[in-house]
Amino acid sequence: MKKPFTPRVRRKFLGQYRPRSDGLEKASGRARYADDLTLRRRFPDLLYARVLRSPYPHARILSIDTAAAEALPGVRCVLTCFDPEVRALRPTNAGWTDGVDTVSYERMMWRRFRDRRVLGDTAHWVGDEVGAVVAAESEEVAEEALRRLKVRWQKLPFVLDPVAAMQPGAPAVHPDIAPNNVLPEDEVGGPDVFLNKGDVDAAFAAAEVVVEADSVHHNPTQGGLDPWCCLCHWTDEGLTVWSNSYEADQTRMHLSQMLDLPLHRVRSVHEFVGGQFGSRDTGDQPFFVFTALLSKRCGRPVKFRYTRRECFHDSRQPAIYHAKAGAKHDGTITALEFSSLGDAGAYADHTMFALKFAPLEVAETTFAHVPNVRCRSLAVYTHRLPGCMMRGVGNSQFNFSMGLLFDKLAERLGMDPIELVLKNFGHEHEGLPNRSLREVLSAGAERIGWKEKRHPPGQGPLLEGERRRGVGFSFHPAWHAEWQELRRGEIQVGLTLNPDGTVLLEAPTVETGTGSNMCNILGCAEALSFLDIQLGDIRFANRVDTAHSLKDCVQTDSAVAYLQSEALVEAARLLQGEILARAAKKLSTDPARLDVREGRIVFRDDSRPSVPLRQLLMQPDIVPISVRLSRPPLSQRTGVPYIATFAEVEVDCGTGKVEVQKLVVVNDCGTVMFASGAEAQQVGGQCIGLGEALTEEIVYDRASGQPLNFNWIDYAIPTMADMPDIEPVLLEVWRGGGAYGACGIGEGTVTCAPRAILNAIYNAIGSRVDELPVKPEKILRALGKA
Amino acid sequence: MASPRRAARRSSPPRRRPRPEPTPPASVPAKIALPPGRSIVFSVNGKTVRRTLGWDVPAGMKLSEFLREELGLTGVKVACGQGACGACTVLLDGRAVLSCMMLLAQADGHAVVTIEGLPADDPVIRAFAEQSAPGHGTALQCGFCTPGFVMTAKALLAENPAPTLEEVRQGLSGNLCRCGCYQGIAQAVLEAARRLREGGAA
Repeated sequence: MKKPFTPRVRRKFLGQYRPRSDGLEKASGRARYADDLTLRRRFPDLLYARVLRSPYPHARILSIDTAAAEALPGVRCVLTCFDPEVRALRPTNAGWTDGVDTVSYERMMWRRFRDRRVLGDTAHWVGDEVGAVVAAESEEVAEEALRRLKVRWQKLPFVLDPVAAMQPGAPAVHPDIAPNNVLPEDEVGGPDVFLNKGDVDAAFAAAEVVVEADSVHHNPTQGGLDPWCCLCHWTDEGLTVWSNSYEADQTRMHLSQMLDLPLHRVRSVHEFVGGQFGSRDTGDQPFFVFTALLSKRCGRPVKFRYTRRECFHDSRQPAIYHAKAGAKHDGTITALEFSSLGDAGAYADHTMFALKFAPLEVAETTFAHVPNVRCRSLAVYTHRLPGCMMRGVGNSQFNFSMGLLFDKLAERLGMDPIELVLKNFGHEHEGLPNRSLREVLSAGAERIGWKEKRHPPGQGPLLEGERRRGVGFSFHPAWHAEWQELRRGEIQVGLTLNPDGTVLLEAPTVETGTGSNMCNILGCAEALSFLDIQLGDIRFANRVDTAHSLKDCVQTDSAVAYLQSEALVEAARLLQGEILARAAKKLSTDPARLDVREGRIVFRDDSRPSVPLRQLLMQPDIVPISVRLSRPPLSQRTGVPYIATFAEVEVDCGTGKVEVQKLVVVNDCGTVMFASGAEAQQVGGQCIGLGEALTEEIVYDRASGQPLNFNWIDYAIPTMADMPDIEPVLLEVWRGGGAYGACGIGEGTVTCAPRAILNAIYNAIGSRVDELPVKPEKILRALGKA
Repeated sequence: MASPRRAARRSSPPRRRPRPEPTPPASVPAKIALPPGRSIVFSVNGKTVRRTLGWDVPAGMKLSEFLREELGLTGVKVACGQGACGACTVLLDGRAVLSCMMLLAQADGHAVVTIEGLPADDPVIRAFAEQSAPGHGTALQCGFCTPGFVMTAKALLAENPAPTLEEVRQGLSGNLCRCGCYQGIAQAVLEAARRLREGGAA
C-alpha cells in the first residue's frame, strides 16, 4: 500500500485524490482529437496532402517535372519550391517562441537562426520536407503522385557527427548562418560562455580535490500517440485551421505573419491533443503554411497528417557534456564548470534553449552558494533529425551531467552523495541546507531504503549467480516555478456566473493531458467558495477557438496549472464585486453594506435577512455576470523547490540486461492542486525517463545518413510489462507566490530518471556507463566482457 | 490501396451513394488483390453492415479506416498503423484485435465491437475514468490510447475474470501509453474486475 500525500492546509477542493474531469469523455472514446474532427464525413470536399521527403541527408533539387503526377486521376494540385507563392515565403524556424508568450515574425525567439524554408529546394536530413507537396482526393493518390514526380537531385556531401562537423572542410549545413557549422552567438542565447561567476581557474588551481565527468545524452523522440494533423480551409472569409498544435494563439500569429493575413482572418481551432511532450516545438511548423497554400489554390479544405514514421520528426537535442568540480576535503564545493557540445541536427530551432537557458537557470538557482561557476555551450549543425523541445528541455541533458559529477565527487571524498548535495546546493534566497532539498532527499532515501541498500560500488551481494543490485538518485531544481512568475507573458481568464448559480470557466489552454484543466476547475471552485459551489456547477470547455477564446496559456514549462488558477483567484474577487454591485441595485442599498457568503447575499450589519443569490439573479432582467481578466504573473521572488528520483536496479552481469526494480519520484509542489493528477505525472513521466535511459534510441546508417528505426517496433517505448514499481511522493515544503503557492511538476518528473538509474547501475556493478541509452552491450563492455 | 475511382466518387457532391462504374482502377497498383465484387456481411456494434468490396469500398481497405472514415467511429484511434501500439484495438467475436492490421474483408461474418458499442455505464470504462486511488495516478492523461486499453482489458477480463497484477501487466503489454499511466491503468483493470465479479454483468 502506497502512502498517500497529506496536504499542509486542508482545503475544500484542492489537494485531494479525485478522478479527472475529462475521464469519462476520454475513457468512453468520445473525446475528439484533430484527426477525428477532420474526417471527410464532416468535410465532404476534403483533399489530402502529402509532402515530398528527401531520401538524402543533403541534396539540392535542380528541377521537378510534375507532369506525370498532375496527370494522375484524383490529383488536384502540385505545389513546388519553384512556385511563386512558395518562393515568396520568408525563411523561418520552429523556434518562434518557447510558449511563454505569443510572438511576431520579427520578434521570434531564435531569429538569428532562420534556417528553415517552407518547401525549400535543399534537404538537410533524410526525411526533410522539401520540394513539392500534392493535394489529391485521397492520401494514397497523393502518395502515388509523389512517386511520379521526376525530381533531379544534386547529392551533396553530408556530416552526421557533431565533432566531425566542426572540423575544417566539413560540409556546411547552413553556410549562410554557420559557415563552420558552429551556431554563432546570438542576442537571445547570449555568449558561448553564458555564465562566468567568480574566478573559476583560480578556484580549480586551489581546490584540494578535482573530479571530471563526461557524459553523452542522445536523441529520444517525444512519441505522443496522436499523429500530427492539420486541416486548412481557406475561403473568402479567411483561413480556418483545425490542428493538434498545442498553441492556439501562436498558431494564429504564425499563419497570419507567414501568409500576410490579418489576425481576424485566421482562426485556429483545437480540441483534445493526444500527448505533447514538447513535440512540434511550439507549433511554428512549415506544414501549416504549405497546407494553407494548397487550400487557397484548390479552394477546398486540405488535410495533412503525418504517418507514424513521419512523427519521428524531431527529438531531444543530443549533447556531449564535460563537467568538472573542485572541492575541499570537507566536501565544500569551490568551483564548478560545465561545457557542452550540442547537436542541433538539421535545424537550430530551440537548441540554444536546451543548451543555455535550462543550464543557466539551474546554475543560478541551485549553485547560488558555489562561488565559482562557469558554463559554456556550443551547438553544431549536422545532417540529422533536428533537435526540438522535449519534456524537460535541456534539463534532462544537464541533469545527466551534473548528477554524474556529484556522484563521482562524493565517491572521491568518501561522502554520501546526499550529504554532499545538502552541504552545497540550494537557492539564492535561503541559506544551507535548503529545506526543500533536504525534505525531498530524505523522503526519497527513506522510500528507496537508501541506508540499507547502498553499498560501495560493485560490492553488493551476488544474487542468482551474476545479478547485482544497486541504488542511486539524482535531484534537480524545479526552476520553472520562479522563472514563470518572473517571465511569463499575460495570463487571460474569465468567469461567467449564470443566474442559476452555475459557472462558465474560461481558462483557455489546449488540453494535452497534463491535468491543468482539472487544476483550473479545482482552483476556480476554491476561489468561488463564497458561492457555495460544487465541481459539477462549473463548465470548462476543453476547446480553444481563437475566434471566440481568450489567449490560451500554452502547455509549456509545466506552468499552466498554477498560472491560470492564480489569475482565477483574482477573477473571482472581481466577480464578487460585480455580484455585490448587482445585488445592491436590486436591493436598493449600498454595495459596501453587502457581502456574499455560501451562495447568499448577506447584510454586514445583519439589519435585514440574507437573500439567496440565485433568487436575486433570477429576477428580471436576467443576465449572466461576466468578468474577464488579463494580467501578468505575480512576479514574486520565491526561490525554487526541488525534485528527485531514486532508483533501485538489478543488473545481470552475464547478459548486461538492466532491470529497474523500483523508482521513487519525489516532488516538492508547494501546494498540491490535484493529487491524482500530480501522481499521474510522477508515475507517467517514467515511461519517457526509463525509455530514454535504457531502450529508446534512433539508429542511423552512418554511410547513407538514413535513420533506420522510425517505427515503434524497432524504437522501443516501454510497455506496462517493462515498468518497475513506481512510488510517487508529493511534498509541500517550499511555497510559491499567490493564493495557492503551487508550482508545476510535469516536466521535471522525466528529468532525473536517467541519471538516477545510471548512478544505481554504477552502485550495482562498480563500472560506469555514461552514454545513453544503456543497452546490454554497453554494460558488458564496461565490465570488460565485450 | 484506395483507388482514384474511390477518390473521384468521394469528390462528387452531394454525398450519396452513387453506383460506381465497375472498371477497376488502372492508375494506382492495388497492393492487395482481392476479387472485386465480393460482398461481405458483418456486424458493428450490433448493427448489420453490408459492403461490396471494390464497389462500395476499396478492396484493400483496412478495418480501422473503415470504422473511422466510413462509420465515423472515432473511438478507434490510429496511432502507428503498424500493429505496434494497440490504440486501434476492437473486439472481433469478443477477442481483442488490432483493426489497423486487418483488412475490412477479414471482418466478413464476424461481430465487431468498438468502444462506441459498449454501454455508457460499462464497468471497465468507468474504472478507467474514475481511477484515483493514491499512489498510482489516474488511468489516463491525454486519453488517446485509452479506448484501445479499454477494449484490450474487456477481452482480458472476459477470458480471465480475476487476473493478478502480473497477468494484467502482461495482458496489456501490447498497448502503449506514452503519458505512462500504466500503474493507474493496472489499478483500473483490477478494480473493473472486482466490480464485474461483484456486479455480475460483463
